[in-house]
Amino acid sequence: MIDILAIFSYKFFQNALLGGIITSAACAWVGLFLILRRESMLGDGVAHTAFGGIAIGLLLGVSPLLTALVVSIFSVLGISYMRKKGLANSDAAIAVIMAMGFALGLIIVSLAGGFNVELFSYLFGSILTISTQDLILVTVLGLVTIAFLGAFYKELISMTFDEDAARMKGIPVRSMSIFFNILVAMTIVLSIKVIGIVLVTALMVIPGLAALQLNLSFRRTVAASVGFGAMSTFFGLVISSLYNVATSGVIVFTAAAIFAFVAAYRRMGR
Amino acid sequence: MESQAVLEVEKLTISRGNEVIVRDATFTINRGEYAGVIGPNGGGKTTLILGILGTLKPDSGSVRLFGQDLKDFNQWDRVAYVSQNAVNFDSSFPMSVREMVSLGRVGRHNLGRKLTAEDWKAVDEHISLMGLGDLRDRRIGQLSGGQKQRVFVAKAMVRNPEILFLDEPIAGVDPETQEAFYKKLSDLNAAKGITIIIISHDLTAVFCRMSKVLCVSRDVHVSEIGEDFEPTEILRKAYGEHFHFVYHKHECKGEFHD
Repeated sequence: MIDILAIFSYKFFQNALLGGIITSAACAWVGLFLILRRESMLGDGVAHTAFGGIAIGLLLGVSPLLTALVVSIFSVLGISYMRKKGLANSDAAIAVIMAMGFALGLIIVSLAGGFNVELFSYLFGSILTISTQDLILVTVLGLVTIAFLGAFYKELISMTFDEDAARMKGIPVRSMSIFFNILVAMTIVLSIKVIGIVLVTALMVIPGLAALQLNLSFRRTVAASVGFGAMSTFFGLVISSLYNVATSGVIVFTAAAIFAFVAAYRRMGR
Repeated sequence: MESQAVLEVEKLTISRGNEVIVRDATFTINRGEYAGVIGPNGGGKTTLILGILGTLKPDSGSVRLFGQDLKDFNQWDRVAYVSQNAVNFDSSFPMSVREMVSLGRVGRHNLGRKLTAEDWKAVDEHISLMGLGDLRDRRIGQLSGGQKQRVFVAKAMVRNPEILFLDEPIAGVDPETQEAFYKKLSDLNAAKGITIIIISHDLTAVFCRMSKVLCVSRDVHVSEIGEDFEPTEILRKAYGEHFHFVYHKHECKGEFHD
């Protein structure tokens, strides 16, 4: 077993902590809005379409996260378009786009003859092996997401609570929704390295859900959600390094344990 | 004081599907008036308000707000609306009373900017004005029906609108809370001179507290509520010949303890 203090001195672990905590903070904040907008599964759907983008990146030899970002943005806008035009409700639109994105990935993988090891790291995350290039991308996307939410959170709450009233007050609801959807895509892409495509939705939804148990004001709910997300990633990284088990799995279980603890605490407090 | 029209509706007809819901409505609301909109369920009260606010497109007729045709009207900061469904929100929505009221100060003018100290001062003033001072940090989901409605009125009022539309704001609330709510609106109307147009089924409150009544049952009958006001005729036009309602202006003081 690795010494608990020694792991903090490793450069790869410091990079993982930095990338992981920025990612989980952005995820928790975006995820809270997704829960309140009743779009929790949007993250899962878009993450699966990112698989197609990653396959394109691996095939072309460019950064898979960049190609995943492009495909994810088109996917989230596609889901939004289908809903708006009445082609499908939210769930059905997510199902269609998710399946198409994943199918695209499968076709490319089969055409290329497979890039199994690399694909595995994107499907299940590999934060401990994050490259400097990916760390820069994750940090930039994460900070852009946090800055946007920090600047426009009051408009986003207004829209989430009552879209018609927000429109009547001159808030550009349509543009803000498009920007928010792009943020969702960005957040998912930056999460892929941390937790992987398959589990990305956990990092978006569980911390927010835990924070909502506490019956706090909005600002405090955001703070609690971000705090729970960062704690999940921190302890997930430390525990998985100590016991040499899959980091993404431990992060999800840590988040779930925090949720269970908070929910039990709330019920005991009643 | 010379009366000044803030809302002029002329020959307004609105249909939903093939059915005419409001027909040839013509009336004027002056600055500072407190008008009640009454009528049977499905009579067109909400349709009339949504038509005035431009949410529903009329078949014919015109609406002028502050002298400007609705088609060209863009001063929505001067108008506030609390919908019938405002209180039917997800009770787990994580917002305190203070945060909810502060959303009233969010708009195009401060897009992407923080609320100022002046904004928060207005928020706190309106929370106190609606008698919610002790509840400012309480989660909105934990409030009673009457308290929630006062929060939404505070949210609408915090923008300092000149005209306030309320659609059945206290449906399903106990009589004591209703009375307190109407008193609060009367106080706002008197203190700030704000024009209030409220849809209500509480005929006593409308006749005792308000200055004008719009009786909507496809056709819109308008009457001033003065000392010699006699509601029987317009009530029968709206609710039918057999409708019976006893009203004596001098009993209003006994009905309302203020």
